Amino acid sequence: MTSEQTTLAGEVIRFAGFLKGRGFRVFQSSVHDALRSLEEISLEEKGDFFHSLRTNLTATDLEWVQFENLFDQFWGRAGRDQEAAAEDRRQDPKTGPPPSVTEDQFLPDAPADASTLTDSDDNRQWLEGIAYSPVSMVRKKDLGRFNQGDIPMAELALRQMMAPFKIQPSRRTKRGRSAGNLDFPAIIRKCLKTGGTPFEIFYKEKKKRLKRLVILADVSGSMDRYARFVMPFLLGLRGIGSRAEVFVFSTSLTRVTFLIRHLSVEKALARIADEVPDWSGGTRIGYSLHQFNQKYGDFLLSRRTAVVLLSDGWDLGGKDLLMREMAFLSRKAHAVIWLNPLAGDPAYEPLCRGMKTALPYVDYFLPADSLQSLKRVIRLLSRVMGH
Amino acid sequence: MNELAESHYIADRALATVLFLAHRLEKPVFLEGEPGVGKTEVGIVMSRLFGTELIRLQCYEGLDAATALYEWNYPKQLLHIRLEEEGKRDREEIEELIYGPRFLIKRPLLEAILMSEERAPVLLIDEIDRSDEEFEAFLLEVLSDFQITIPEIGTIKAKRKPLVVVTSNRTRDVHDALKRRCLYHWIDYPSFEKEYRILMTRLPGIDSRFAEQVTRFMQKARTVDFLKKPGVSETLDWGRALMTMQRAFLDETVVLETLGCFLKYQDDIKRFKEEIWADAGQRGEYLGG
Repeated sequence: MTSEQTTLAGEVIRFAGFLKGRGFRVFQSSVHDALRSLEEISLEEKGDFFHSLRTNLTATDLEWVQFENLFDQFWGRAGRDQEAAAEDRRQDPKTGPPPSVTEDQFLPDAPADASTLTDSDDNRQWLEGIAYSPVSMVRKKDLGRFNQGDIPMAELALRQMMAPFKIQPSRRTKRGRSAGNLDFPAIIRKCLKTGGTPFEIFYKEKKKRLKRLVILADVSGSMDRYARFVMPFLLGLRGIGSRAEVFVFSTSLTRVTFLIRHLSVEKALARIADEVPDWSGGTRIGYSLHQFNQKYGDFLLSRRTAVVLLSDGWDLGGKDLLMREMAFLSRKAHAVIWLNPLAGDPAYEPLCRGMKTALPYVDYFLPADSLQSLKRVIRLLSRVMGH
Repeated sequence: MNELAESHYIADRALATVLFLAHRLEKPVFLEGEPGVGKTEVGIVMSRLFGTELIRLQCYEGLDAATALYEWNYPKQLLHIRLEEEGKRDREEIEELIYGPRFLIKRPLLEAILMSEERAPVLLIDEIDRSDEEFEAFLLEVLSDFQITIPEIGTIKAKRKPLVVVTSNRTRDVHDALKRRCLYHWIDYPSFEKEYRILMTRLPGIDSRFAEQVTRFMQKARTVDFLKKPGVSETLDWGRALMTMQRAFLDETVVLETLGCFLKYQDDIKRFKEEIWADAGQRGEYLGG
């Protein structure tokens, strides 16, 4: 290997570290493959260099989107501009051939530490004091203080947390007692002992499915500062399969499962805000629960349903109604989990009337004020949702 | 890229590089993107390009190893045991017989491994996000060394690694362990120029001005926040439908008549009619007037 190549390899490794520091999941094997890829492509083509690194060092759509920017920051803009120009030329045959490219343009034209990244206020906020890892920083940040720029990072972090979290319905089968699908392997096994006569017939049946998850999120005025985070959290739950249902409520209830499944965070937020007439208005938890129980209770609530309520408990509605609906919910569902963004404060006491009324019917009461605390929520959920 | 184009797939340099690397590094390609941007097509085209067999495994909830790998033909085995009842074979002989290749039903993954004897096939694992996580974990094992063990027969190893294309619609996150073994590529909606070229390549005989009009329409439609933005496959469907109807230009009526070719949700259709088509200015823009 020439010294130039060595430098390039070193820089690629450093770039992988740079990405890791920004929340990317870069594996050792991916770095190795990235270096192997560079041996396969012609380094003359800046575009190929970019594409090879991107395909090896990203693994999700979010990383894919952020990669371009981070690549530019680390390697300097020259490489990408060259590629764009070349792409233009390909589309317009009138311009001349691409100028020759020298290898040193690949090397970073500026030191790649965090200080070079503060080209805008946005970036500064992003990375304030977190040259090491923005994700770990985001985890500690109070969710109420999240700004829009944090959402992609929060989403990235949430997805990482969700990775080991399985709420997929099981389709594995077990030995069953009632007539159903024949269990041929078992029949055959028995049959061989009796010279091929199947004296005993075995059936298999599906193992029990995992529980259904229903999320009811408060998007009223008092929750407003959390709402921007509540949504990415709900969207982070996208991976939990077809048995999750998501509703938002303030003065009334809206089902948003469809939007959450189909749109990106920002768009889902906009559409939900659009479709929920009183987004950021007052809260009537009792009435919203009443609507839920009436309309969806029959087919969504069962002993296999876990209900998660995300709210600070500020309620403008009547106490009796709330009590009645909470009682109904806790009677019908397997577990009611209440996540309260205020409860993270050690001095917090459930003083507001709504919270006080609802608390006796809640199986688990947990804070949801930072990604760290949400991690606990996820642990609890995976326990509750399991078999 | 040119080779891909000859196989009727218009790819940009990014995708061409990824496919080249996948071939050279013998790594699976993991393709993500909105529905209808041409992920599945990549696998189909790759097999055409390399002149090899395409083996497709369509994933779904509940897909298990038996359906993906192999299964014993139990009814046939049972029948055979019955027939042997009067015979002189002893139990061990019968066992050996009924667990032989004659009674083995090969499913896509085993097929891919067996086929690699002569030439590595292209294995398309479509919509992996629909399968269960346990299946995904099982897949890891197969993808890492293309070797499977059938207890009654032994271990079978692929001579050459098949070229694997895995696609996902992102309905759930796929585990890191699987992604780590793959090259990642995100297929976006195409640019105007690319979509136009796709139309011209895939719909031979389409009038170039008509193709341009359809492309402009679709590019514009994608700027609207529909629940399901129309993908390239919708463009092709629509183009094909219009050609079948012997239309060679878009007008107000024909668009309304054929909305269902590119908008797939009632909400979207309603929105298109009320917010876009009701407005004369927008109509003009869409039709390129």
